[in-house]
Amino acid sequence: MKRYYDPFMMISIISCVSVLLFILIPLIQMLLAPSWEMITESIRDPDIQRAIGLSLYTSGMAALIAFIIGTPFAYLLARKTFFGKRVVEGIIDLPIVIPHPVIGIAILGIVGKQHWLGAFLHSMGVRLMGTISGIVIVLTFVGMPFYINTVKNGFEAIPVRLEHVSRSLGASFRSTFFRITLPLAFRSIIVGFIMCFARAISEFGAVVVVAYHPMTAPVLIYERFTAYGLKYSQPIAVLLILVSLMLFVALRLISKKDMNI
Amino acid sequence: MKQLQIIILLVIVMLTGIDMTQSMADLSGKLIIFHAGSLSVPFAAMEKHFESKYPGLDILREAGGSTKMARMISEVGKTADIMASADYKVIDKSLIPSHASWNIRFASNQLVLCYTKNSQYASEINQTNWYQILSKKGVIWGHSDPNLDPCGYRSLMVLQLAEKYYKVQGLYDRLIANRPKRNIRPKSVELISLLQTGNMDYAWEYLSVAIQHKLKYVKLDDHINLGNYQLDSYYSHAKVSVSGKKPKSTFLRVGKSCTYGITLIKNAPHKETAVNFLNYLFDPDGGLAILKNMGQPPFIPCRVPTSTMKDKLPELLKKRVVVKN
Amino acid sequence: MIQIHNLCIQLSEFSLKNINIHIKEHEFFVLLGPTGSGKTLLVESIAGLTPITSGKIIIKGQDMTHAPPEKRKVGIVYQDYALFPHMTVMENIQYGLAYHTHGPDDLQRIQDLMTKTGIIKLSHRKIKHLSGGEKQRIALIRALAVNPSVVLLDEPLSSLDPGFRDDIQNLLKMLHKNTGTTFLMVTHNFAEAFFLGERGAILNQGVLEQCSPVDALFSSPQTPFVARFVGFKNIFRAQIKNNLAKTNHFELEIPPPILPDVDQICFRGEDIQVFSTRPNSNQRNTLYGKIQNIIDRGPYFDLSINVNNTLIHVSMTKSELINNAYCVEKEIYLVIPNQAIHTLAADKTYVENEFPNLGNT
Repeated sequence: MKRYYDPFMMISIISCVSVLLFILIPLIQMLLAPSWEMITESIRDPDIQRAIGLSLYTSGMAALIAFIIGTPFAYLLARKTFFGKRVVEGIIDLPIVIPHPVIGIAILGIVGKQHWLGAFLHSMGVRLMGTISGIVIVLTFVGMPFYINTVKNGFEAIPVRLEHVSRSLGASFRSTFFRITLPLAFRSIIVGFIMCFARAISEFGAVVVVAYHPMTAPVLIYERFTAYGLKYSQPIAVLLILVSLMLFVALRLISKKDMNI
Repeated sequence: MKQLQIIILLVIVMLTGIDMTQSMADLSGKLIIFHAGSLSVPFAAMEKHFESKYPGLDILREAGGSTKMARMISEVGKTADIMASADYKVIDKSLIPSHASWNIRFASNQLVLCYTKNSQYASEINQTNWYQILSKKGVIWGHSDPNLDPCGYRSLMVLQLAEKYYKVQGLYDRLIANRPKRNIRPKSVELISLLQTGNMDYAWEYLSVAIQHKLKYVKLDDHINLGNYQLDSYYSHAKVSVSGKKPKSTFLRVGKSCTYGITLIKNAPHKETAVNFLNYLFDPDGGLAILKNMGQPPFIPCRVPTSTMKDKLPELLKKRVVVKN
Repeated sequence: MIQIHNLCIQLSEFSLKNINIHIKEHEFFVLLGPTGSGKTLLVESIAGLTPITSGKIIIKGQDMTHAPPEKRKVGIVYQDYALFPHMTVMENIQYGLAYHTHGPDDLQRIQDLMTKTGIIKLSHRKIKHLSGGEKQRIALIRALAVNPSVVLLDEPLSSLDPGFRDDIQNLLKMLHKNTGTTFLMVTHNFAEAFFLGERGAILNQGVLEQCSPVDALFSSPQTPFVARFVGFKNIFRAQIKNNLAKTNHFELEIPPPILPDVDQICFRGEDIQVFSTRPNSNQRNTLYGKIQNIIDRGPYFDLSINVNNTLIHVSMTKSELINNAYCVEKEIYLVIPNQAIHTLAADKTYVENEFPNLGNT
């Protein structure tokens, strides 16, 4: 008997393969392009080490800030309804839809002396253009929505009745948060942290406007590409891809283990 | 039979129609121009004017540090029809002979120190005390990347010449010590937005750019502003090391007056359009007039250094240049 | 020992209006009503988990209206048990001890309860793979472990199989007796309320319809809603004067009404006596009618009798129907004992404190 091939299934398989190839071919080509010597030479290059180190540090700081400021906010969004909540949630998503150079230009505009905020910062001796602090601010801006949305979903998945029972047994709000809510949300907090981190480490358009020096890895890759060509930018690109992949793998491993509530 | 007659009639009408539109606009399609950042404003005006004469034409410009733009053509392999550089030497070194065969010098410029009314010490700065103010701690001043932009290494040359001219020993090192790396940007025009937002107090730019963006500026003595070609031998005292074809390799650039060069790239995809545009650019009432009105002194007429080079030019352009070194 | 005075909760789409309930110490109180009547909302407000718009909540003599949940000593057991998934059984049960001074006696008491309910062997298990019944017990003991003033149970039997219900009902009764804790149970099932409860209240769309001992709810409803809820199938508008009720279709002798402004009467289908021949003329409240419809309900029959162009519903056992050969179109006589007839006031709710004598039947 002839087997029946569902035409929709065929289309699905074709699109599946196309998408996978679309993603994998450029990445594989990138990973295989530079020679082994070029990669080891790049690992030893102090400029490259500095750039990748700076990227890791600034992205980590951005994720940390997102964790500290974003966690209470995410909890509020998960548990409370209030007038204008939809608008607030829309605002949180704004950094995702605004083009990256626009973000950089906007931040540059407010940290200069022409703006009251920038004038205040300058008078305090705080400089943000071309500084590590400036980069961290930009990265926090672009990474925060990823953290908040992930953690908000994590909190929402915890039934509020668990917190109610805890309160009825005598635990204060604070006690409930640390004994019940946080342990159950722990996994999504880690996932949110990593998502924010990964987003920050790949940011280019906003960073390059606010700070060309000191150079993060993506800025260095772009500078090497435009100044010297493909050959000299590929090794750094490979190293950055490897760092990003490690984050990605860590993310998948942690989020795979399910919490049965 | 009747159907066939109608079809033939339609075809004739179409052909005559095409003929008519063809004679109204000879040039159509695209034209890709890479140019120095400092030419952005005048080239935008030329683009507008030229496109209005040929509505079917779309001019695509890409601006950046001239060194970087030239490398994009020679190393990265990007496609362009015309390359206009703030330093004609960039074309000589990076594009001739593999990507271009001639180089026309069409304009000059000089370096000035730009600032805004909100810059620190804005009310005090002048031609004699500028280097003292730039040495003051807390004053934020910068220039473009010498490795990517001629304005960058020219800024450094100005500082070296200042040390020699004002006879202040160690001035160059002192000034550089007060200019941290974060105040360097790949393209000199980026410095303008930093000035305007108050993120920077002073920036080194071309006079034409300062005028075009309505910035305040300090004009310097001819001995140090790289604007007078008669002082070329004095300028040659300034030497700046910039990066070469590979990272970590360097070569020395020697000070010379700011002379802008332009060329047609070999294998340009839109050669005829490019030559027509250059013809317009070199017209004293066309492109050169725009440059003049925007504060950038053009060479009228434009120059090539040798008659050999003049012979290599397209016919249309030969009448626009003279041989002068 | 829980007094609720004029409690009102105003939400965007629902409101609880003027709830007045008094729950006595050691009592097993049931809160009844259809789904959506506001029972869970009321219970959560007693626990302090929902803010109230106006009114007072007094627990053991203290005004707890604005007190946070952790200060009220009100335990809550949810329908889905709400056990903490990241803790063991013992950690769940002992969770609240950290917030109350406790001694070895308390731990011993907890151990006893766990033994009595058969879950002592589960102490160190994670809660993931336990059965519904086991989780139920753990949730109950967890609430009782901190000696609360009252334990609120939100529909504890709704999600259980009918086979389990009896077990859990007995368990609840045993725990209540054993610990002497006041229980407040929410349910929409009248049968289990009747078995477990001592006193109860019925809510309907945010309004308290009646609050009285459970058997009074059953036998002496005071509003049409309560009457329908507890199974009175016959409710008629009537002009009532002294002990005579006149509907549009018949007249009946009734006990003198206690409530003012009554305008309806009701009686149960099971209380009606049915005769094939006319009973003697001394018999009061005799009505003549024709059987219009017979519905087989399995253990019993529901009959609809046309009496003077209105329908009266009668319930009778299978044997009675068969022995008397009742069938559709048959003419029969109904006798309604006057004690079985109750008077109701429409659009009125019954507030217990106004009529303390009611319900002592």
